[in-house]
Parts: sequence; structure tokens; C-alpha cells
Amino acid sequence: MIEQINQIRAEAHSQIFSAPDPEALDRLRVHYIGKKGILTGLLHQLKDLTPDKRREVGAVLNDVKTHLEQDLKQRQTELKRVVLDKELAASAPLDVTLPGSYAINTGSLHPISRVMNDVVQILKRIGFSVVTGPEVELEFYNFEALNTPENHPARDMQDTFYINPPVLLRSHTSPVQIRAMKDKNPPIQVIAPGKVYRSDYDLTHTPMFHQIEGLMVDEHLSLADLKGVLNYLIKNLFGSRSLRFRPSFFPFTEPSAEVDMQCIQCKGSGKDCRLCKATGWLEIGGCGMVHPNVFKAVGYDSEKYSGFAFGMGIERIAMLKYGIDDLRSFFENDVRMLEQF
Amino acid sequence: MLLSLNWLRDYLAKSDIKIDPKDLADKLTMRGIHVAAIKRPSFSLENVVVGRIEKIEKHPNADRLQVTKVITKAGENVEPIQIVCGAKNIAEGDIVPIALPGSILPGDFHIKHSTIRGVESFGMICSGKELGISEDSEGILQLPKHSGIGQPLTSLLGGGTQDTVFEFELTPNRNDCLSVMGLAREIAPVLKTKLREQKPAKFKITPHRTSSIIKVEVEDQNVCPRYVARVIDGLKVQESPDWIKQRLEAVGIRPINNIVDITNFVMIEYGQPLHAFDLRKIQSGTIKVATCKAPTDFTLLSGESIGLETGDILIQDGDRPIALAGIMGGENSSIAADTTSIVLESAAFVPTQIRRTAKRLALHTESSKRFEKGYDLAVVAAASERAASLLRDSMNANVYHPPIDTNEFGAKEAVISIDMRDVRKITGLKEISAETASELLDSIDIPSHKKSVNILSVRLPTHRQDLKGNVDLIEEVARLAGYDSIPEHLPTSLATYERLDESHFDFEFKAKTLCCSMGLRETIHYSFVSESLLKNFGCAHDQMVSLKNPLSDEMKVLRTSLLPSLLQTYSYNLNRKVKHQRLFEAAKTFTWDTKEETQVKETPYLAGLLSGNLSGSGWKDKPIQLDFYHVKGLVEALVRQLTSVKLAFEATKNTTLFHPNRSATIKLGLKEIGSLGEVHPIIRDSVLETDEPVLLFELNLEALKKYERTTTRYKTPSKFPAIEIDLAFVVEKTVSCHAVLENMKNTGGELLTDVSVFDVYEGESIGPSKKSMAFHLTFQSLDRTLQDNEIQELKNRILTQLKEKHGAELRA
Repeated sequence: MIEQINQIRAEAHSQIFSAPDPEALDRLRVHYIGKKGILTGLLHQLKDLTPDKRREVGAVLNDVKTHLEQDLKQRQTELKRVVLDKELAASAPLDVTLPGSYAINTGSLHPISRVMNDVVQILKRIGFSVVTGPEVELEFYNFEALNTPENHPARDMQDTFYINPPVLLRSHTSPVQIRAMKDKNPPIQVIAPGKVYRSDYDLTHTPMFHQIEGLMVDEHLSLADLKGVLNYLIKNLFGSRSLRFRPSFFPFTEPSAEVDMQCIQCKGSGKDCRLCKATGWLEIGGCGMVHPNVFKAVGYDSEKYSGFAFGMGIERIAMLKYGIDDLRSFFENDVRMLEQF
Repeated sequence: MLLSLNWLRDYLAKSDIKIDPKDLADKLTMRGIHVAAIKRPSFSLENVVVGRIEKIEKHPNADRLQVTKVITKAGENVEPIQIVCGAKNIAEGDIVPIALPGSILPGDFHIKHSTIRGVESFGMICSGKELGISEDSEGILQLPKHSGIGQPLTSLLGGGTQDTVFEFELTPNRNDCLSVMGLAREIAPVLKTKLREQKPAKFKITPHRTSSIIKVEVEDQNVCPRYVARVIDGLKVQESPDWIKQRLEAVGIRPINNIVDITNFVMIEYGQPLHAFDLRKIQSGTIKVATCKAPTDFTLLSGESIGLETGDILIQDGDRPIALAGIMGGENSSIAADTTSIVLESAAFVPTQIRRTAKRLALHTESSKRFEKGYDLAVVAAASERAASLLRDSMNANVYHPPIDTNEFGAKEAVISIDMRDVRKITGLKEISAETASELLDSIDIPSHKKSVNILSVRLPTHRQDLKGNVDLIEEVARLAGYDSIPEHLPTSLATYERLDESHFDFEFKAKTLCCSMGLRETIHYSFVSESLLKNFGCAHDQMVSLKNPLSDEMKVLRTSLLPSLLQTYSYNLNRKVKHQRLFEAAKTFTWDTKEETQVKETPYLAGLLSGNLSGSGWKDKPIQLDFYHVKGLVEALVRQLTSVKLAFEATKNTTLFHPNRSATIKLGLKEIGSLGEVHPIIRDSVLETDEPVLLFELNLEALKKYERTTTRYKTPSKFPAIEIDLAFVVEKTVSCHAVLENMKNTGGELLTDVSVFDVYEGESIGPSKKSMAFHLTFQSLDRTLQDNEIQELKNRILTQLKEKHGAELRA
């Protein structure tokens, strides 16, 4: 019987793989493993065998049936494939150059936000934490605590918007330094990003703009640390660019410096360069060692601690980074500008 | 501050030293004396010549232009050239500078042969400003009548010597550099030379001393710490000598007459403003320095009438004001053409009051600019002597000597000690010695001597009023050593710092990124808007915060909502044919709140605007008009990502901005945290002037931040099969989806793991007041396979409950 079964299997195998179409294949399925098929018939004959023989033959039968089922499936796929290939060959491909239709509308971050976040992320990597403060401030935080008493000539450097004295719109992010130091004892290492306001509106000034402020206070900080931090920031922001620190004056730092970056357009040569007005350098921020009077205002011991602070305008950096030439375009919110970011 | 290098040379020990302007400017800038621009008054003026206007006619095609014929060559029968000119101050016969084609004027302005409104023009008649030799752009520069026609202009300007002018941008602490002397002090060491010794002027003691002619009374020495008055007579008002005029013009000061010019000259030279009164007009014989006691009117020598206020410092003739001290003289005492005797004033006034007055009157003169930053008591007397000697020497005037001086011993020099260990600690210049520091300070006339290895005793000169404490000297040493010489490294102790509580920044940035991922573009608007903008969009209320000194009405009120700005931007872009706008902004709103330190409550908000189609202008899918539910979906997705809370939405009542039937108030518990919906049709039609629906949302980020999703609790998915059934009900239209859902969830308990609405239908077939809602329910247990009868039972309970509570009928 086993011999017979194997013969059936060989015969069926060759018939299956020579079946010309799905219909012929289906007839073969019925013929061999259908309800009244040959193998089914053989299965019914098992009951006449001895238990030992029954087990032996049964196993072979089942095995053959499984194989035939696999063969049928395989041939079925082959036949389908032939049909499908014909169909596919007959039809034209899609116009793959038509635009994709998934999520046509993509959003964008404002260039100011992008730059602000870049700066924040870079400084976070070297240990700075983000703090924020109010935009509506008191003169105390915006001026007095920053060593800028009333009638100090430096108050002229910033034309301030007032709500009602002593309440004003902060003219820089520096008041956040004071708030941070009043909140926490040294060591402290913070950055304060945000909007600031000055009563100035022309080609190069908007009455609102963005700054980021950095402050670090500890026992052994010097101008060398300040230079290191700002170089790290600028290298990460603009790639390898040299910086120069130029002595300057801010009431709340001493020594103070303006930070200039090698011009990104003329690479520092200054030759016929409009961007840097032929100087080879671009001003990007101010910085310095925290003035002892500022420490006094927040109750820090200036004998024990020293610290540095720096501030820069985000619009300025964004203009340089993206080649934006009109400051005011940041706040016009022209979609044709926004969609480029 | 402008500095003529020729003028500077007068104060250098080696006056003929070679100066490379660019190099000097760079070095000064790196010492904190910022040179903002280098001007060469006669630079590249080669093709600019002296010409004479022969004829002026009207331009045939332009009212404001004239067509001139100009002689630009010496000799007889020279053919005039034609030049079109727009200036008004020209007349036939005028001698003027002519820029011929080929000349290059300051600002890289190339002069070419051109045709202006149909008339040919062969050059340009120039103003002083166009030539870079004066600030005056009012009209064409008039040259002396006897100037030789055709000669190069440069030969007229200081005999061909090329001067260079530096424009400084000085920091407010360095008022000592508002003078040629002060700048020379900084420049001499850079040029490796020294200051030239200034010989003090010698005066013979005259029989008539100043004090025998007039008296000086100072009401309060704190207001006027020093006042030096000198009577000078035998004067004749006339033009100044050329060398004085040239110097003044080089630094942008218009020569007036010899007396005024000399006071200006000494002011630029010494940094000490001076004033000359006509002696005839001091009727009482007493000059009194006093503060104004009651508001009164006063006419300045400029002819302008101003209001004096209490506190203003005045120079009085007895009780009659004759000058606004330190700012400008009065008309009633000024030098006239026939003045022969003057009182020359050199004084110091308290800077804060000068600032206050100058600022109030917006009168920023060369004098007030200097006084409001401070004074040097020593130079008050020196400047007086210098001016007196110049007047005496240049016109043989008679100086009454000695002068009146209210504070002969006024100038005192303080001495302080600095510790080199502090210098090293702050600057990072680890090796700098006391000797080096002393040399550096000495190079700019700050004398010092070493007391011990680390201690330097420094005498603070009176001309450096900005130097007060140790840190000021540390800065001087660092500045003079050069910031370039300071090493650089990253701070070493970073790891020890604890992180502060993260601020709002990260949360807001997360919200912004999510908005971007959902197709919105970020905008940034000014925090202040016009009141009418807020009113137009129903966002004005009585708690609005306004600026006291706004730039304009357009930027006056702090925003109470971000939506009006977004709507304004929507219109701006719509006018530029931008369709399908999707905008957002994250910023603060402001309202009065007495609980706040500043009385103003700032609340961070996130707001968005959407218009047009969901899928843009696609070629493939049917456009779907954005509606309320799209925005709601966006808000829900945002909040789901940002927080771990569920929002509630309630139909909005009484709103001006929103469509009354297509908007919702967003609530977190009982607190309103925002709104969303379609813009009110009346605003859409009459303010936005569009016919497409505009959708808005606004969310209080501060409220949401409290529920920021910081972590996630993982739930193992059930291993047992889920059973899904669909149910449709007919309810009254007033029954909300939320109510039905909540009811089902309550009844279904934890086995009902999910329920969502998949169809809503309204139509005649179910009755005009009814709607049908179809729900998809998922049942699943974490610990067993649910049986059919269990599901059947739950389903029945849900149906019963819905019918009882909401009158819901199962739809066949």
C-alpha cells in the first residue's frame, strides 16, 4: 500500500506542476485530496489494517497529503503570477513625477526660534540651565541692581518703554541674572532667553527683539573662562570662526567686552565687504566679568566669588546665519519668508 | 566724537610721526576706544575743481531742477559745461565745487556724464556733505570769491595737506575722550610717542582784575563745584584765522566768529565747554549760578523759546536768567557783531541735573553731551586760561587777570591700592606682575608705585573720573595688556553644578515643535498692538495694559490675546495671495493683576490660525474645507502629546470673535484654559474681508504646563481576544456626544476598553429634532476570553442606561 501511495504522490506531483491553468489545478486537487479523492479513499481503507500497519500507513498518507497541498499552493502561486505578469505588462506605470499627496502642508519654526533653540542646546551641553523671567519688569531688576542708577549715562544706551514707573518692559534679559542670583546661592550657571523691548524703530532697530543672556558665578572664574564659553558657542553655531574681544563698557560688568566674530562673508578680509562695513568683523554680543556692585545687590560675596555674564541678540545671529538682510522681516510674518525655514 | 589727525599731531611729542590710519584705528578699537569710521575729507577728490556758475535756467521737465552753465577751466573764452542741479542756494556768479565725470565722492559715489529728465549733465555741483568735508547738507558749498577757477578743490582745502578724521563711538564712561587731549593720551602710547608738554599760558596781573568788574555767586557748590570767570576786552568780532576754522570744520563744527570759534576750539581740545557772555549785558555786575525756583520762559541764543522748570541750573545776571547752564546761552547775553568785552565762563555743573534738563528739552548740544557725563575740576581752570591766551594772542585782546575762581583747590587726586592677585584672578592673566601693570597704567598718565610684590598704589588722575574702585583699574590693566593676550579655556567645574528647575522654555519649545509637525508655521508678532485691533476682534477689556511712552498708537497696548495679531497676519498674507494659511504663535499675554509684583500678570499662550483646505490644493484628493472639528482634533492631539490631562469642550456663549454656533471654550476641570472655533461671520466679512472660514485656537500654556507629561506608565496589552460591536442610536440633537460616551463608559466599566463615534446623521427620516450617532465599542479583558453572553449583557445594560438617561433609541 505504501508503494501505491508513493506512486500516487509521484504521479500527482508531476501532474500538478504541469497543470496549465487554475481550473486544471483545481481538478487535480479534487482528484487527489478532495472529499472523494484518491488519498481520501485510501484514508478510509486504513480501518481495515492492523493497528501497527494503520499507524505506519496513516503517517505516510498524512505526509503525502501535506506535500501535495504544498505543491498545489506553490503551483497556484506560479499560475497566478503568470496571469498577473500579463496584466501588469499590459498596463502603464504611474506618473511617478506627480507630487506626493501625503502631508502636503509641512510646518516651520520661526528663524528666531530656531536660532534661539540652537544657542540654548549648545550651552546646555556645557552645563547651563535655562531660566526665564518676566517681560514686564521693575526698574530695580532692569537697572538699579545692574549698577545702573537713575541718571546714569548708560540708561541712555537703552530707550525704555514704561508701563508706569517703576514698571517697565525689560530692555534686556539681564534682569533675569538678578532674579536667578536672588533665587540661588553660587555656584550658578544659567542662560535666559527671551523677548526684550526698546523704544527704537528704524532700519536696524525693532521695538521688540530677542536676546539670550548667560551668567556663571563660582570661585575661580576669569575672563579666560568667558572667552572659552563664547568661543565654544560660536564654533558650534557658525563653524570655525575666530572671535575677538574688544574692551567696552557695560554698567553691570567690569572688565567688559564687545564680542566680534570674523565676518562670514569676506572671511575677515574686509575687502569691499558691505556686511562688516569693510572691518572684517561682525559684532555679535557683549560680555564681561560681573561687577562687584551687582554681587552686592544680590548679596553675593564678591571677595569669594567671581563670575561672568554675556548677552547677544538673536535677530543679529539669525540674520548672519540665514543671510536675512531686513531686520523688520522677522516680524512681518510673510508666509513666503516663513516657509523657507 | 570726531578727531582730526592733523589736530592730534599738535599734542604729540613727535608731531611728524608717521600714522597709518587703518592700523591706528584697529589698535585703538582693541583698546576700547572704538573707531567707527575713518573719513578722509579730501580723499579721491581729484576730479573735483573750483567752478563759477555762469547761467541758471529752469529745467524744462522738472520743477525742482535747474540747468546751469559752469566754467571749470581757467582762462579766457572757456566753453562752459552744462550741469543739472537740484540745490536752491545757487546764484549766477557763485564759486562752487564741481565734481567732473570720473570723480569719486565719499561713499563710493561715482560721478558720470548722465541725462537727467531729458537734459544732459556733465558733472555735479557739490554740497560740503557730498564732498565729505562738512556735515552740512543744506546746500551747495560756497567757496571764497577769489578762488582760482579750475584749480583742484584739494588745493583749497588746507593747502593740499590731507587730513584724516576718525569718528569715535565712545562708551559713556570715557567722557575724557571727548577731547583731542584725552584721545591724544590714549593714542600716544599706541604710536610709541609721548604727549607734548603743554606750556601754561602766562598772564600779567592787570590793574583791573576780573573781580573788580564783576562778582560771581554760586548758590550751591554741589550744583556748581567750580566756576571760573574772566573778563576780556579789546575784542573785535570777526572771522577766525584759517587754521582754527579748518580744525573746527574737520570735526564738523561750523565756524561762526572768532570768539565763539575759540570757545568751541578749546571745548574740542580740552573737553571743557566754555561760554562767552557779552559784558555789556551783565547789568547787575553779578553772575549768579542758581537753580530755577519757579517755571518761567526763556529764549535761547538759538532763538528758540523754552520753558524753564524748577531745578534747572541757570546762570543769572542778578536774578535774570542769561544762560541755561552747561547746555546753551541765552539770547539776552549772547555775543553780537559789536561785542568788544566778554565774560568767559568755564565751569563744572552737576551731571545729573544737566542730563535731566537736556533730556526734558531734547537739547543735546556739544556742551551738554560733555557735562552730562561728568567734569574734571582741574581742566575747568586750564581751559579758561587756554581760551584767554588764544583770544589774547590772536587779536591782541586784554585779559583781566587773575580771574574769579570759586574753587581754586577743587581738583583732588585720590590714591587707591590694587592687589595683583585680584588682577590675575579676574583677568586670567596668570603671570602679570606689578611692574608690568604699573608700566601699562603709566603709559596713559595714571601714575602708580609698587608697595609690595603684589600691591600697587595708584593715583587716580582727575581727568579719569570713571576710575573709582579696584575693578576699574583691573579693567584698565586688562585693556592695556590687550584682551587678546588673555588665555581661553572652558570652565573646569561644570559637573558639580546642580541643574535648576527647567523653565517654561522647554515646554513651550515642545509645543512649538508639535505645531510644526502638524503643519503650522510659527509667527512672531510684537507684544504691543493698537487698541483698535483688540477691539476689532473682541479682545479689548478693562484690564488691558498700555505703554506710557508708546512709539505710536499702533504699538500701544500689550496683547490680551494672540489671536488679533494672527488675524492681522492672515489678512497680510491673504493680500499677497497666500492660500491655505496655517499659522501659530507662542507668546505671552498681559493683564493687570494686583497680586503680581509688577501689577501685571503675564500668561504664556499658544495660539493658531487655520484657513483653506485640509489637504491643500492637491491634484488627487478632493479638497476638504477645514472646519471646527479639524481644529479641535489638532488641539486634542497637541494636548495629548504635551500633557496627561483630558480637556473638556463647552459650546461658547456670548463671543464677539467666534461664530456663536461653531466655537467652544476649552476647559481643564473647572478652569477655562482656552477657546477654539470659527471666526464670527460678521468679522470674517467686514474685517477680514474673505469668504472662507477662518479657524482659531488659543491655549493657556501655563495652565497646561502643570500637567506636563513627564513620564508614561506602561500597560501590558491584553493577551485575550477583543470583541468589537457597533451600535447606532437616535437621540435629541441637544444630547451631546460627550454625554453619550461618558454614559457608555460608566456602564461598560473596565471591560469596555474603547468606544468611539464613527458616524453622525441628521435627516428627515429620523425627525427634525433628532440625530443619529453610531459608535464602535471594543470589549476586552486582561485575564480571560470574554463570552458572548457577557457581551450581550453589557450591551443590554448600556442600551438601558442610555435610554433612561438620554432617551436614546437603538437604531435598527
